[in-house]
Amino acid sequence: MSGLLSLRNIGKSFGGLSALSGISFDVQPGEIVGVIGPNGAGKTTLFNVVTAVFPPTAGEVVFDGERISGLPSHTITKRGITRTFQNIRLFSTMTVEENVMVGRHCRTGAGVWRGVLRTRGQRREEQGIRGKTRELLDLVGLSGTDREMAAGSLPYGHQRRLEIARALAAEPRLLLLDEPVAGMNDAETQEVFRLIQRVQSLGVTILLIEHDMSLVMKACDRLVVFNFGRKIAEGTPTEIRDDPQVIEAYLGAAEGDADA
Amino acid sequence: MEWLNPYHLQVASFVLINAILGVSIYVTLSTGQLSLGNAGFMSIGAYTAALLSTQHQVPIPVGILAGSLLAGGAGILVGIPSLRLSGVYLAIATLGFGEVLRAVLINWESLTGGAVGVAAIPQMGRVILAWARDRGFSPESLGLQGNQFISLTVFLILLLGTILTVAFFLRLSRSRVGRAYAAIRLDESAASAAGIPITYYKVLAFSQGALLSGFAGALFAHSTSFVSPGDFTYHRAVEILVFAVFGGSLHIFGPVFGAAFLTVVPEALRAISDYRYILYGILLVLMMVFRPQGVIDPPLLRRFRRSGKKTPA
Repeated sequence: MSGLLSLRNIGKSFGGLSALSGISFDVQPGEIVGVIGPNGAGKTTLFNVVTAVFPPTAGEVVFDGERISGLPSHTITKRGITRTFQNIRLFSTMTVEENVMVGRHCRTGAGVWRGVLRTRGQRREEQGIRGKTRELLDLVGLSGTDREMAAGSLPYGHQRRLEIARALAAEPRLLLLDEPVAGMNDAETQEVFRLIQRVQSLGVTILLIEHDMSLVMKACDRLVVFNFGRKIAEGTPTEIRDDPQVIEAYLGAAEGDADA
Repeated sequence: MEWLNPYHLQVASFVLINAILGVSIYVTLSTGQLSLGNAGFMSIGAYTAALLSTQHQVPIPVGILAGSLLAGGAGILVGIPSLRLSGVYLAIATLGFGEVLRAVLINWESLTGGAVGVAAIPQMGRVILAWARDRGFSPESLGLQGNQFISLTVFLILLLGTILTVAFFLRLSRSRVGRAYAAIRLDESAASAAGIPITYYKVLAFSQGALLSGFAGALFAHSTSFVSPGDFTYHRAVEILVFAVFGGSLHIFGPVFGAAFLTVVPEALRAISDYRYILYGILLVLMMVFRPQGVIDPPLLRRFRRSGKKTPA
């Protein structure tokens, strides 16, 4: 049995430095799976491998029964995996609306001539893009903001949510969220938590990197724990909380303290 | 009709050709690629149109079309390997392409006439006047002298070409493709993650820029009736770049304004036209210091639009 996303023995090294090795796990449709681990454990590297920012040096990524490692980034987006970035990467001088509209790219098709001649089909498509954009801005709670405002001048928390809206515009089946509540206060974290639940209820499977343990414990169905580029544990939040290896990775081993 | 001075019309015609060249570098820049090969692509368009009409008696519009398409095709060929380069390296490679092409034009004498160039290219205005006279029309009936009519015709054809070009790319910039261009310029990996095929759009923008340069070159050949390798040197490449740097490259009106300003001012200040390149240098340094985005940028245009709306109210 394999899930929506299957990672099979993924390895990634940069020169002599091994960032990931022997990573295997499955994500089932409809799940929210959390990826946790100390800084530098290889969590973002995993996202970069899945979305083909760079290819894995070993193993393969299988999505919906088909091997996707080796495909270019935009094709993977079209197959149904989109992501947000740890350090927000919006098109900062484009407007709020345009950012989400760019996200619709792979679900629309008007080329140069249709765009220039403004054919009836092209105008209908643009209307559809704008309609979907409004819908998504409502979903992420940005319906009140000025759509014509430059994305870069939005408050930080809103930028995070706008990035999620852009990722959803491509109608993903799997959404990769890289630290969506980093730098947010409790109230904002709560809002993002509710947003993640709303997105899940739309049938989107979510893989979530997050350091905020309260969010991870509440939101995730299962957790995968990384340390030094290896998977050290996998299970439900409760299992992970009590796992001695995880406690060691986060807090250090008992004898380690004595040695120091 | 004294005011309709062929000299002024010729300056205006150069403004228009330069405006198309300005748009050509803008299109490529709108995906974040700096190409200095546009003088080279211009020479492909100019020589193709010139040789087709002088040696093969091909009608002028067909020659212009062929020149533009050939330049666009060359753009694809140069664009694909150039994709591995970005920033200043792409600029150097494309500049090199332009210089190699110029060396070919000088040395392939049997085809291009070498350093002497191609002369006696049918001039658009003259051809149209001859055609009109055959049908019993005389420009005098409009109160125009022959040379006024010729210059005016060339100007109007170029004006039409420029308006069509600007309208085309203005509309493109507000479409799905235009958004993809802007996304690539602002953040390539985010654009790619958003589902945009980077390679396709970069080559598309590069070849569109090349095609436009070729178009400008072909129009140039049929306006001046003489082309030589000296028209497409390094100076031309830099001049096109300056249109975009001075005018601004974030909106299509930027390089159009830059081309107009930098063509008219040296003509108006004839006395110092020998020092034009010194002026360009000073201008560039000043722009870098005080307004690196160019004279015209989207916020400025928005302010104009808003005050334009306020005034009538």
